[in-house]
Amino acid sequence: MPNPKLVLEMFASGFWNTLWLSLASFAVALVLGAILAMMHVSPAPPARWAAQAYTAFFRNTPLLVILILFGFGLPKLAIDLEPWQWALIGLGMYTSAFVGETLRSGINSISLGQAEAARSIGLTFGQSLRHVILPQAVRTVIPPLGTLYTALVKNTALTLVIGFQELAAKTERMINQDMAPVWVVVVGIIACYLIINLPTSWFISRAEKRAAFAR
Amino acid sequence: MSNPSKSSSVLFDALGPRGRSRVLLFSALSAVVVLGILAYAYFQLNSKHFFDSSRWVDALDALVIENTYIPGLLNTLKAAGLASIGALVLGSFIGFGRISRFKAIRFLSGVYVQFFRAIPVLLLIWIPYTISNHTGTAIDGFYFVVVGLSIYNGAVLAEILRSGINALPSGQAAAGHAIGLRHGQVLRLIVFPQAFRNMLPAVLAQLVVLLKDTALGYIVTYPELLKMSQQTASYYTQSFLQVLVVAAIVYFVIAYALSKLVSFIEVRMRRKVPKAATTAAVAPAPEPV
Repeated sequence: MPNPKLVLEMFASGFWNTLWLSLASFAVALVLGAILAMMHVSPAPPARWAAQAYTAFFRNTPLLVILILFGFGLPKLAIDLEPWQWALIGLGMYTSAFVGETLRSGINSISLGQAEAARSIGLTFGQSLRHVILPQAVRTVIPPLGTLYTALVKNTALTLVIGFQELAAKTERMINQDMAPVWVVVVGIIACYLIINLPTSWFISRAEKRAAFAR
Repeated sequence: MSNPSKSSSVLFDALGPRGRSRVLLFSALSAVVVLGILAYAYFQLNSKHFFDSSRWVDALDALVIENTYIPGLLNTLKAAGLASIGALVLGSFIGFGRISRFKAIRFLSGVYVQFFRAIPVLLLIWIPYTISNHTGTAIDGFYFVVVGLSIYNGAVLAEILRSGINALPSGQAAAGHAIGLRHGQVLRLIVFPQAFRNMLPAVLAQLVVLLKDTALGYIVTYPELLKMSQQTASYYTQSFLQVLVVAAIVYFVIAYALSKLVSFIEVRMRRKVPKAATTAAVAPAPEPV
């Protein structure tokens, strides 16, 4: 039966779940990704190899496979976690591979002359990284990181398969239980994703313009 | 000893004896850490009987391979192939629409791209499926996967096409117009052939993403590799995890090989293209799923 109040509650809780899961897993991805990027550029071969293997695996395996492997497979080893915990781990680890690559290419995008100049005026490795390379790298890296976040928001929808109650999962329930006309539900869920993603895209294009200026 | 990936080596000086021994020590340390993590994972898995051969017999049984992985993979490839064709056709139309001379067409294709890139692919596949289930019209899951992936990737490819064309120096088109070519001729003879080279790697990379996305067939019970494996896994409960691991490895090997191929092509193309044409072609960030 149509029930506006219930529908609104469903949308609100779905929206909230999608939003916090995307933010929390992005935080996980940023931390893991920063570690990966450091391993990628480190002078120690074993660290580089480990980072490469991790990145290759998570970039080339479908996210859905990873989520199902985590959410349904690992509990068979008596590792029992809640759906939201599997969702957080799965999304975070998957996205961290992309974040790591982005950060690394950000460091590599700084022209050689910058690093050479820093070295030639006598800055040490740490100083040239901190005062010359990273401030520039951070600026180039923000727009692609924003793109990764919008992709992550969309990817949270996949967590419905392991039973996390985000927007898409709520939609199915609303449609199946005839809580509202189908078009209302469809428009509502699309609006929810746009509410998260459009400001992010706007922020990205602003950051891009700024980065272009600052050069 | 110290041979970090070439592009980042500028951060380091050529190392002296003390630096070299420090790197050596650090390498040894990181090797110990990595091996330690692997060993811990191995012993944990082993204590849960993950490696017992009895658990792997069913997962690697010839019958299971024949009836699960192979037909599943074929269905995956079938859906990926058809969706790629659909996405390429749609993407070309919308992409050229975005650089059309007519404002209305530019606007409409812009709306298409922005809209379908902003919502999850999963919704494009799953909401139609839920609605058709609810209204009692039985449509094969295959169609939802192919149509949904075509629509979504059409938008992504259109954007790649547009940025590939915009990346060309405007002098190219101007020169075409100057020697008296019509708009269509400029696009066909001058702009597109050059843009095609620039964007081919990005298009191929997106098609690899599309292949990975066919795993979404799982949610509409299309019997592709993931769905088939999950069914088999539920049947052999003792080997549940093992069957899924095999499926994951199959996905990984295929996608890894294809993306290696793409980057090989990218390197080849970069070697051939004259400098001017590639200046603006900054590779877009890889977008997951």
